[in-house]
Amino acid sequence: MEPERYIMGLFKDEDQVVAAVNELKTSSYTFHRVNSPFPSHKIMAALKLKKSMVGWFTLAGGIIGLVGGFALAVFASVQWNLIVSGKPIVAIIPFVIVGFEATILFAVFGNILGLLTQTRLPSYKLMQHYDPRCSGEYFGVLASCDAGQEDGLNDFFSRQGAEVRVFE
Amino acid sequence: MSQLTYASIDQTILNTLTPPKKYYWAIVLLLFVGVLIGATCWTYQIFVGIGAGGQNIPVAWGTYLINFVFWVGIAHSGTLISAILHLFRAGWRNPIARAAETMTVFAVCIAGLFPFIHLGRVWQVYYMIPLPNQRLLWPNFLSPLMFDVIAISTYLTVSSLFWYTGLLPDLAAVRDRSTGTRYKIFKFLSMGWTGAHEQWRHYSRGYLFFAALATPLVISVHSVVSWDFALANTPGWHTTIFAPYFVAGAIHSGLAMVLTLMIPLRKVFKYQQIITMEVLENVAKTIVFTGLIVGFAYATEFFIAWYSHNTVEIEQFRWRAFGDYRWGFYFMVLCNTLTPMLFLFKKIRTTIAALFIISLVVNFGMWWERFVIIVGGVAHGFSPYAWGLYAPSIIEYGIMFGAFCLFFFFFVLFAKHLPSISMTEMKEMVEKGAVSHGA
Repeated sequence: MEPERYIMGLFKDEDQVVAAVNELKTSSYTFHRVNSPFPSHKIMAALKLKKSMVGWFTLAGGIIGLVGGFALAVFASVQWNLIVSGKPIVAIIPFVIVGFEATILFAVFGNILGLLTQTRLPSYKLMQHYDPRCSGEYFGVLASCDAGQEDGLNDFFSRQGAEVRVFE
Repeated sequence: MSQLTYASIDQTILNTLTPPKKYYWAIVLLLFVGVLIGATCWTYQIFVGIGAGGQNIPVAWGTYLINFVFWVGIAHSGTLISAILHLFRAGWRNPIARAAETMTVFAVCIAGLFPFIHLGRVWQVYYMIPLPNQRLLWPNFLSPLMFDVIAISTYLTVSSLFWYTGLLPDLAAVRDRSTGTRYKIFKFLSMGWTGAHEQWRHYSRGYLFFAALATPLVISVHSVVSWDFALANTPGWHTTIFAPYFVAGAIHSGLAMVLTLMIPLRKVFKYQQIITMEVLENVAKTIVFTGLIVGFAYATEFFIAWYSHNTVEIEQFRWRAFGDYRWGFYFMVLCNTLTPMLFLFKKIRTTIAALFIISLVVNFGMWWERFVIIVGGVAHGFSPYAWGLYAPSIIEYGIMFGAFCLFFFFFVLFAKHLPSISMTEMKEMVEKGAVSHGA
């Protein structure tokens, strides 16, 4: 079996990226990813990406925080068990504040956990087949092919108006 | 205006990270000396006791609490700019969002120091942590002071995480243009970010949720701070207007601090192409809006005192305007409500010197607003027998000076070592055509 070659087309224009991605998908080459310096809505739309699952992590964190915040306040008050300022031992209204802040805090923790797990960070392996210009002014489209098809993929990217980088 | 390109954005912002000159380190050193003065004063207070400050009955809450509220307030506009304006898709916030978020993180850190300083026996701070102490006592969550602990620690955590999340793609951009040790540091900090489309898909969603969560949080935090006062049955404090009044005041002072920081930053780093006059003008217009809200709140407090027919409230507000601290009241009205109205004139809000001076005036006025509220309430309470005056001691002045130096010390270090403008968000602006596109 011939070794796989990874080739990146570096574009300066988003519309060219969209055109290249659309053609790559119908070609015999394997499309891997687009690296871009900012989240491009045109590219996202062309890739027909599904909605991220991060929100579910955020929601789960929020629910844990809400229940945990109220539970902590109630538990601590029951341990105290002294009537202060005529308020009941388990006073719902003041505990809304504790519950609310804990909801936000744990929703954010959930959000971070979701972000890290979904984006697979931290991982330095992600920097394999990556061109540093993609955090500057270039959009990198990474594709692979068999070694015998290397010239064809190079030509494909050149025709689309990209600078070509072949990864060894 | 010449056109911004992705390359020119990178170049302008990355140029600010070149090795600093000697005068930069001289400024850092001067600020550090200021920090040491504050630290020395605090150490002295720890050894001598809380009486080293000027607080005494009836005014047990002096500059430590004034500065606490002041710095929490400063923090708020950072979240307004980064989260609330992000949700409203206000593109003009992009050039100043990073610096404003950073200001938030540092301001909350400074604010968080003051309850420790005010505590006196600072080593007993663990009483506020929700863990049973050696007597098996738990914190009392019915107390507004515990609300504060929860709110401020949540705010510090959330704003720090929000700041770092926003910074991540820019850390990768710096990494990609670095070599040697700097490359290693930024490689570690950027966690392997590559801007792959799958990463952006989750990042954009996560950032949106961050903004959506930070928005109610920022409103709740200063409301909770206001309840430290409003839940006490003290004339001048015990009022339902405090939460919105404090939130508006916080954003007012924070926006003024944004101008105070952005104007020198813009000049020193030659950011004129990015932080345009339109951006500064929009901040000035928002200051007019928040200034009107705080002015309305000042007037409402007087109206409610008169309308209530409550003798003690009426006396409290008569004393506020004509009593011992009347100059503090005049400062706050003049600096926070009347002076910002000068921004109604386009010529003034498009003049850099005027913007800078008025921002300093508002910062000054907002400090005095907190003085009038916090000291005024307890100095002139229910019983004339218990009335008393307060003046800060030299130790308090030293600590306050140290706190200001610490804030600017952090900010000056940040400005030269991390990207002070979000390259990612600026490129998004260029892509959307919100600024001139030269690509």
